[in-house]
Amino acid sequence: MSSAETETPEEAAPATDDAREAVLAEFTSRLGDGVVGSHIRVGDDLWIRVDRAHWLEAAEVAKSMGYRFFDFLSAIDWLPSPFGRDMDAQEDLVVAGTPAKEPEAMVQGYAGGDTRFQLLARLYSISAGMGITFKCDLPDDDLTAPTWSNVFAGANWHEREAREMFGFSFDGHPNMINMYLPADFVGNPLRKDFPLLARRVRPWPGIVDVEPMPGVADEEGEGE
Amino acid sequence: MGLVESGKLPKPLAKLLNISRKYSIWAYQWGLACCAIEMGAAFASPRYDVMRLGVIPFPASPRQADLVVIAGTVTDKLAPAVVRLYEQMPDPKYVISMGSCANCGGPYWDSYSVTKGVDQLIPVDVYVPGCPPRPEALLEGIILLQERIAHEDMAARWKGEPIVVS
Amino acid sequence: MTAVSDPQSVSALVAEANDNRVNLDFETEGMTLNMGPQHPATHGTLRIIARLDGEQVISAEPMCGYMHRGYEKLTEVRTYPQINALINRIDWLGSFANEVPFILAAEKLMDVEAPPRAQWIRTILFEMSRVANISLFLGDFGLQLGGMTAGFYAFRDREWVLNQIESATGGRFHPNFDRIGGLKDDLPKGWIEESHTAMDKLLAFCDEMEDLLVGNEIFQGRTRGIGVIPAEIALSYGLSGANLRASGVDWDLRRDNCPPGLVYDKADWKVWTHPDGDCFARTWVRLQETREAAKIVKQLLDTIPSGPVMAKVPRIIKVPAGEAYVATENPLGEMGYYVVSKGDLVPFRVKIRSASFNNISVLPWVARGAYVPDLISILGSLYFILGDIDR
Repeated sequence: MSSAETETPEEAAPATDDAREAVLAEFTSRLGDGVVGSHIRVGDDLWIRVDRAHWLEAAEVAKSMGYRFFDFLSAIDWLPSPFGRDMDAQEDLVVAGTPAKEPEAMVQGYAGGDTRFQLLARLYSISAGMGITFKCDLPDDDLTAPTWSNVFAGANWHEREAREMFGFSFDGHPNMINMYLPADFVGNPLRKDFPLLARRVRPWPGIVDVEPMPGVADEEGEGE
Repeated sequence: MGLVESGKLPKPLAKLLNISRKYSIWAYQWGLACCAIEMGAAFASPRYDVMRLGVIPFPASPRQADLVVIAGTVTDKLAPAVVRLYEQMPDPKYVISMGSCANCGGPYWDSYSVTKGVDQLIPVDVYVPGCPPRPEALLEGIILLQERIAHEDMAARWKGEPIVVS
Repeated sequence: MTAVSDPQSVSALVAEANDNRVNLDFETEGMTLNMGPQHPATHGTLRIIARLDGEQVISAEPMCGYMHRGYEKLTEVRTYPQINALINRIDWLGSFANEVPFILAAEKLMDVEAPPRAQWIRTILFEMSRVANISLFLGDFGLQLGGMTAGFYAFRDREWVLNQIESATGGRFHPNFDRIGGLKDDLPKGWIEESHTAMDKLLAFCDEMEDLLVGNEIFQGRTRGIGVIPAEIALSYGLSGANLRASGVDWDLRRDNCPPGLVYDKADWKVWTHPDGDCFARTWVRLQETREAAKIVKQLLDTIPSGPVMAKVPRIIKVPAGEAYVATENPLGEMGYYVVSKGDLVPFRVKIRSASFNNISVLPWVARGAYVPDLISILGSLYFILGDIDR
């Protein structure tokens, strides 16, 4: 599925991925209006977005369809970081008088989405050799979801980690204690508005000196 | 030995004591991360054998150790354990900080859960830079520590003044 | 109670009944055993809180986080080459293997394919890192069960592989050799013959380990029938790698879902499974996998094509917007990176699916009812690296 980097017109690229379309069709028929978005990358992967009310049912349906291997469960915070990319030299920005960049709009990825936080989970089917990536919107004022740990035992630890990293809560989880962080840690590190204090105290100096590559003209080298 | 603490030990005896101390270090390895493997290669593999320097690895507990080699990233969650380990060791004790994570936080200098250098917790005698340092680098660090021990004034430890290497 | 006629069984039952009667008179409490963050048998800073009833474990709860360095947050402020240097240190024994899925995910999003020579060398180094990783496991497992000799042999023979990796990439550990679009450099002269010799030595090492460990009566007694994990449980916990194959599931990402960019189909090799699912099965599968990896390396070394090692990629790498998940069969299991990119120098979110996290999550289930020494066997055979659990 990789194409050469030249610009030859694409040959009749495989337009559809029949196996994944079939999986999506069966899933939609079993779950009904729980499926609110989907995306297929041909020959590669299938994304399905379900709404929160059907999150647990999606797990059960997938397991009954043969997707019994639990890959991972996590989340994505789609807020663009208020601290910027942290790669530009903060001193240069101040000195040169660049105006502060407008905060970008929040744009979700494959299979769409409306909220800042999305749950992300992946299941795999060994017999079919394919996986499904699930996404689920979580409204900002109510960051809860039903637990998957009764369907997939491995989700137990993953949900613990998602809780402490993002601040969610999972209904029905048997053991909601911190996974990685000390018990007295304040904050949810993987949220975009959680600052990395070392970079706030001493900003990244940027590229200090750049030598041109031998034989190549120097562009305004920004990052390595 | 009252003579040692009060500084009344005659010079040749002090020198002899230092030399015998530097060649009989019992090193406790607090191997945390990737540097632990290089430390294992230095201590346990036949090629970079550390026993030829007089340093014996693998004491049974920190209470029997002279030297602790902190190899790897120290996180905030682990910090109390490191301090407790250091306090368990009897005097005179030495600390080698191995690898950039233990020296200064290393590649994780901006992480929210990493202690930026083990010298924020315990006093360090020798820093061995590298990521990970080769076993030979650790051996050089140990030799540097041995030189330091050889020129040490034992009484200064008990007086509480900073130790000066001549 | 079945009727027994054998006098020995009868006397054994009588003794047991007497024992139980005695135990009823003692009021015993359960004990909490803390296998603390520093322990020779845990591969790093893992803490296990085990509640015991006598010698039996009622519950064993691992507590992770003593090596949590915050990788997923750090990837949001580093460029792709910088992340490549950082993720070497997740699974620090087989370091090259950590870079590969991330580079392949970025290449998938950029729609760039590495030239064939780079793909060959990538696969060779991948398998060499597998050999380096698992050979330490074999030695270390013997060490944990009490056979210290195996550990020293492992350290000695690993040096051959590390020498080869070092002469090609410049670093014994943490090579940081993979680049988006290919590799950093070409191989030095004479590397291919030396690698052949190194792999032969490793094959001899595997035979030595088999002699030392596998046939040993104590080893068999401590690992046969201990820590059995049925296939369904393994799948629902997400176990991968040799743990899954030792439970009878015939699944190997190198053969079944190999991402484009690795050339496992150019070598003739076999996937090993074992139906038992106990500690012995896991060790045995890993031993065979090491041999298989050495054989793959030898075959690929003979067929490396010539050509460039780097495709044409811009000097400053901006990966187009999109999401991609690539997983490979790492020495510890299935390791994958879910990369979310917004078209910038820096990824938006990288979710690191590490194998040991799922492998150790099964420990509370497996350890119920095991004895304390069996806990060590189970831990050792599940084989994890703390950097992989804690990221």
